Amino acid sequence: MTNLNNQKNRKQKDSAMAGTKTNKIVTRVASYAILTFMTLLIFTPIFWMISTSLKSEAVMFDTPIELIPSDPTLDSYVNLWSTYPFLTYLRNSIFIVSVATFFSVAVSTFAGYGISRFNFRGRGIFMSFLLATQLFPSIMLLIPYYKTFKTLNLIDSHFGLIIAYVSFTIPFCTWMMRGYFAGISKDLDQAAAIDGAGRFRVFSSVILPIAWPGIAATAIYAFIAGWNEYLFALVFLNSAEKKTVSLAIGQLIGEYRILWNDMMAASFFALVPMIIIFIFFNRYLVEGLSAGAVKE
Amino acid sequence: MKSAFAKRESRSGKFFTIPAALIMLGLVVYPMLYGFFISTQKSNLIDEWEFVGAKYYIQLLTDADFYGTLQTTALFAACVVIGNLVVGLLLAVLVNQKIPLMNVFKVILMLPWLFPEVVVALIWKWLFNPLFGMLNHILFMFDLIDKEVDLLGQPGTAFAAVVFVCIWKGYPIVMLMMMAGMKNIPYERYEAAAIDGANKWKQFRHITLPGLMPILLVAAILETAWWFKHFTIVWLMTGGGPARATELISVDVYLQAFTNFNFGRAAAESVIILFILMVISFIYSRVLRDKSQ
Repeated sequence: MTNLNNQKNRKQKDSAMAGTKTNKIVTRVASYAILTFMTLLIFTPIFWMISTSLKSEAVMFDTPIELIPSDPTLDSYVNLWSTYPFLTYLRNSIFIVSVATFFSVAVSTFAGYGISRFNFRGRGIFMSFLLATQLFPSIMLLIPYYKTFKTLNLIDSHFGLIIAYVSFTIPFCTWMMRGYFAGISKDLDQAAAIDGAGRFRVFSSVILPIAWPGIAATAIYAFIAGWNEYLFALVFLNSAEKKTVSLAIGQLIGEYRILWNDMMAASFFALVPMIIIFIFFNRYLVEGLSAGAVKE
Repeated sequence: MKSAFAKRESRSGKFFTIPAALIMLGLVVYPMLYGFFISTQKSNLIDEWEFVGAKYYIQLLTDADFYGTLQTTALFAACVVIGNLVVGLLLAVLVNQKIPLMNVFKVILMLPWLFPEVVVALIWKWLFNPLFGMLNHILFMFDLIDKEVDLLGQPGTAFAAVVFVCIWKGYPIVMLMMMAGMKNIPYERYEAAAIDGANKWKQFRHITLPGLMPILLVAAILETAWWFKHFTIVWLMTGGGPARATELISVDVYLQAFTNFNFGRAAAESVIILFILMVISFIYSRVLRDKSQ
């Protein structure tokens, strides 16, 4: 009986599909055409970056330009380590952004759990405040931070920049974690609580271990936000040995003679950590976000 | 009378939330109020503090240049946000199809998200370079131009160019949100629609779009707030020029504060941006509520 029904269903489906067969092919061709075009659009600047980074200065400023360098050289990459303190920049960025990310995610995970599980006075205000902070022009914090950091002697210090990055990332991270926890059944908490575990024990030994995809997605978000940041670094850091990668690359353009090949090599290196992170955590991104930030 | 249970609940909730709340209070609320205070002062932030009341606000609101900047910013944000939403939504729908290679495209299409804004700005600036850039080279190759074009050198094209680059950088996050949102739309709905003979467009129109509406509106609010106060890409590509064609409000605030050292005026501008963004998000949330009813 079920079998018969299935067959009937399939027949119905097939006949419906047959009518739209050409339609389906058109959709497919159009889809691949658009996706291929987008892929070209994405790879063009990447190609140009790599191509330029492999040119000598003479070749780079020669017309007609060579799309693929006929005489590729790794000089620009060597320059990054010999002429510019690029290793220092890289270390600064990794240090500042890692500390800020770790701190933000830790605090946000707590807060996200708190507002997703418990009812308490101030919860509503806290939540609307989190959303409202997305509206605050970061530039609005720039001037008061500048003044406060000056007073506290935090200008040109990594600690100051970490504080600034934490202030950006906590609201969005908390919002993401709240969404993720909301997707985890409360029964789990209750079952553990009945077994006599305290609230913190429930959190740390039951909920935390299954919240990893959400935490990973949140951490990636925070890390990328920090790694990309330019304006605060520009205002707060001045000495060469304190600069972040973003700031150092951005400032190369202000120089009288712009060495695009060195700059493109530097850009390439700024990308590498992002790509490594992406390769490792890619699968968590949609999963972590699906439950997270996008749910009202 | 609160039960003991509710009391304990409330205490636990506060315990988990208080660290974040205190940090936000110290790192966001206090600086904001301080920023508001600075906007009423004529100050060099060191030893000169003179209360001038609403002077900077009046100055700004009667300044035609300021309105020009606001207009540029609004147009810029509108173009980028609409562009991101359209491109992000379109691509999310495309890669969500159950046909070969989509997993590869999913990864490729996310790449621009990984690019630091500084890097994005510099690569495109170099690509647009009139003498040695790749764009002109290609246009020459196909005989599309007979004289090199300097996209970033002319007001009209410079604006279009920065909008294009910002969409290039910005659509992946929208795509990611839409992909996440589509996971919540049951697949059976599409199957049922296909049996009823609904084509892809109809399926999109009547299943995907309504299903994504709440997320689309959240994305629209966040995107508007993000791009309205955008600084880095535009600053590095054009510095606000040529002829102020790309002078966004954040660029103006930065110049006022850290080039002209006119901190009071810069702080007042920031307060006005905040006010505008609050109004915009209020309108959005109204729309959101109307739609969901």
